[in-house]
Amino acid sequence: MACEISDEDLIERFPAYAIDHDTKARYRGWLDRVMLVDRCRNCGTWHEPPGPICPLCWSTDTVPTAVGGSGTIHMAIFLHQGPPAEGVDYTTPYPVVVVELDEQAGLRISSTVVGAGNADIVIGRRVRLDWIERGGAPMPVFRLDDADGVRS
Amino acid sequence: MTPGWRNPAKDLVAIASAATTGFFASNTARSQLSYAAQAAIAALRAAGVSAAEVDGIIGSTSPTASEMQQALGIPVVTYFANPPIPFVNQLSAAVAAVHSGLCNVVLAYHASYRLPWNTSASLKDPFRRGGMTGGAGAAVPESVSGSVGYTAWASRYLHEYGGTREDLGLIAINGRSNAANNPAAALREPLTMPGYLDARMIRYPLCILDMDIAVDGADAFVITTAERARDMRLKPVLINAATLGMTSTSSEMQTPSLREHGQQVVVESLKARGDFWIDDCDIYFPYDGFSIIALNWIENAGFCGPGEAGEFLRQHWDSRTNRVLIDGRVPLNPHGGSLSEGASQGSGHIREAVHQLQGSAGDRQVAGAARAIVTAGGFFFNAQGALLRADG
Repeated sequence: MACEISDEDLIERFPAYAIDHDTKARYRGWLDRVMLVDRCRNCGTWHEPPGPICPLCWSTDTVPTAVGGSGTIHMAIFLHQGPPAEGVDYTTPYPVVVVELDEQAGLRISSTVVGAGNADIVIGRRVRLDWIERGGAPMPVFRLDDADGVRS
Repeated sequence: MTPGWRNPAKDLVAIASAATTGFFASNTARSQLSYAAQAAIAALRAAGVSAAEVDGIIGSTSPTASEMQQALGIPVVTYFANPPIPFVNQLSAAVAAVHSGLCNVVLAYHASYRLPWNTSASLKDPFRRGGMTGGAGAAVPESVSGSVGYTAWASRYLHEYGGTREDLGLIAINGRSNAANNPAAALREPLTMPGYLDARMIRYPLCILDMDIAVDGADAFVITTAERARDMRLKPVLINAATLGMTSTSSEMQTPSLREHGQQVVVESLKARGDFWIDDCDIYFPYDGFSIIALNWIENAGFCGPGEAGEFLRQHWDSRTNRVLIDGRVPLNPHGGSLSEGASQGSGHIREAVHQLQGSAGDRQVAGAARAIVTAGGFFFNAQGALLRADG
């Protein structure tokens, strides 16, 4: 499963992200369109952000593990300005959401929501993971679970 | 958490003087070091302390302690440090260093400087382009790290409690009304609620007036033993308690809730280790680097319940002066706070507390001010606080 790509090439594929030895597996997962979150094999808990040890039991056996990708919007903001990025035009406020994943209470990741109007992107809505491309590399995004809007 | 609360330095370390250069919301043709040095000299002169008497230097990261020592020709120091902001970090380091005997007289400083990560206008000054680090956080739009995290939690706050942007706006208006009486403040023109609601949206639900104003300027302090401060020129301000607070899940996204982060640790520590709390304070300084932080501090300090800060501010609003006066008496951020005086990362809040407790706050003076509470920093990894009281 793990994408065979050198460390140097990995950093080149994701120039906007700070990648280190604790986070490199996550971005290799992105290249395979798999969202990996650290899970401790000793005590079973999930952890964000990726780290070298399990903060609960101090096991070093934390393994980047695929998540199902379903969750609930916990926070939602709309950027009227922000860092330049391919495909992001702030003339329509750009939605950014923090999603609490179904795997564990309080386990959260952030991205944008595609295929929905901003008025429908509200805290409490169910979402599921999807993938788009930015700069020639896969990027995880969310779609509203019950969206009947435009698919893009 | 069941710490054995200790506070052996209580009231034994004092702020002997505080000074500011004033703050400017434009790219001035000066270096960050020049502001820090100017404020430092003013603070030393106010206390009647010579360079040779300083044996400790504690500041934020630019300029460094060694740069300040060289700039001011301070002959010898036995302690120096550049902990991260907000400024209760510097204050706490000074308390620890002075009380333990690492040094006797600390020069503490913080220089604010408009940098490319907090204002795009600063990119136009070629001498500022090196300063891209600091609060940048998000290199991609989808990140909520750094300052964006406060907007994210503002959205959560409004969702959980049914709040409105007007609740946030009260913090901005209070600061602006107070800044009108502060010649050091960067923004002093009056602000109305319609004006707040019309302001440029940056990251909904936070507009530009919910975010502190990037400035050039500096504050500096002389901190020493209470005993030695009593022999200096001004009335000492005693540090009754100082604390930092952080929890294990302190990152922006994994912070469990608005009721479980560093602020609760700070409140518990100050109440346990200090001698007074909100019922006995004359001035309250809730940090307002973002308006949402101040609302959360007011609630977590115990002035009102969760989600009730907006209503609390309305109940205690003084319509004559268009600002908050708790029970008609206690102002919040009387210098204007970070939103209107300028983004000084807490040094302005502490400097104003010192001036109020020394009775030198000019038109802003709170009559008989004897006790001030400063709760600085935000939710994630920089909550902190101090109880300050006038000597005697």
